[in-house]
Amino acid sequence: MSATKRVQQWSTFSRMWYLYDAQWQDPFHSAKVLSPYLTGQNKPIYHPLNDCGDHVVVINSQEIALRGDEWKKRVYFHHTGYPRGASWTLAWELHQKDPKMIMRKAVFKAITSNLVRRTCIERLHIYPGSEIPEEIKSNLSGQIRPVMPVPKRLQEYSKEEIENYPKVFDFPNDYILR
Amino acid sequence: MALRTLTTIGRKISEWNLLKITTVFATNTRNLKQVTQSETADGTLVIAGTYVPSDRASNLVTVKLDHEGPCSACYMCKLNLDVKHTDVLILSQFLRTDGCMLPRRITGLCKRQQKRIGTMVTMAQKAGLMSNINPSWSHKDPRKRYRYKKWNSYWDETTIKC
Repeated sequence: MSATKRVQQWSTFSRMWYLYDAQWQDPFHSAKVLSPYLTGQNKPIYHPLNDCGDHVVVINSQEIALRGDEWKKRVYFHHTGYPRGASWTLAWELHQKDPKMIMRKAVFKAITSNLVRRTCIERLHIYPGSEIPEEIKSNLSGQIRPVMPVPKRLQEYSKEEIENYPKVFDFPNDYILR
Repeated sequence: MALRTLTTIGRKISEWNLLKITTVFATNTRNLKQVTQSETADGTLVIAGTYVPSDRASNLVTVKLDHEGPCSACYMCKLNLDVKHTDVLILSQFLRTDGCMLPRRITGLCKRQQKRIGTMVTMAQKAGLMSNINPSWSHKDPRKRYRYKKWNSYWDETTIKC
């Protein structure tokens, strides 16, 4: 190969490492976005036998947001295989025990069920906070855009911003301030 | 100028101290009442009512006729805004300092909008986005709540039935 062609070869077939911030993101919507990166379906060179999947590093998995009362209602089922080995765990209980599990299970389900799924999930690295080991931090080469907008709490706005924001409603005359 | 009297508070008071109003009210100025209690040197309880100008008047939004929304029942319908539960700056305008929603006779909204905004305020409070406007006994930090309320949640505004 010529000098320019081999650089093109390396950049086409190299494995990328992407960063994804899961703060205030729905894990199921995120999983739908992350699974093409893990399987390699975002690449024009994709083939199921090609093994062209990338690595994805998910940070802040402790801060994921579930919709409505799903923390209370969503249930994860597990059977040990032995008699009376069935267990139903609520989402908040599972998150308390291991904050990485909900994200991992969501991505596992989003990847198509085939023999490469286990290899792809090995390339997903989830961290509950924002600390990443140095070996993985040095590998990072890209970032995936968050799926949902991150809301801002009222405490995070400055007093001037709150005062100068256009007001929709003013109190009626002679209203006693409480 | 006739003196304005406050609603009586059922307790023994020695004096009433009301400020005399000398100026004439214009139609647009809103004067809010602020009730203050203080103890004087000789032990008498003074409950005073002062007129305070509203600090929202300068930033109030009025929609022009040609930009009005399809429904014109109240000012929120006319504004035709797509308010989400994360628009905390808008939702906090309808709240008291302890986090309670103001009644319809104060806000002046139509029944549909009142219910809609009330539901969105509940959503924002459950998500922990307005924890500084809370009653004194509540947890200001969502991480200090119990069980499922500890973790972040988001809501879908299309599920509001109104």
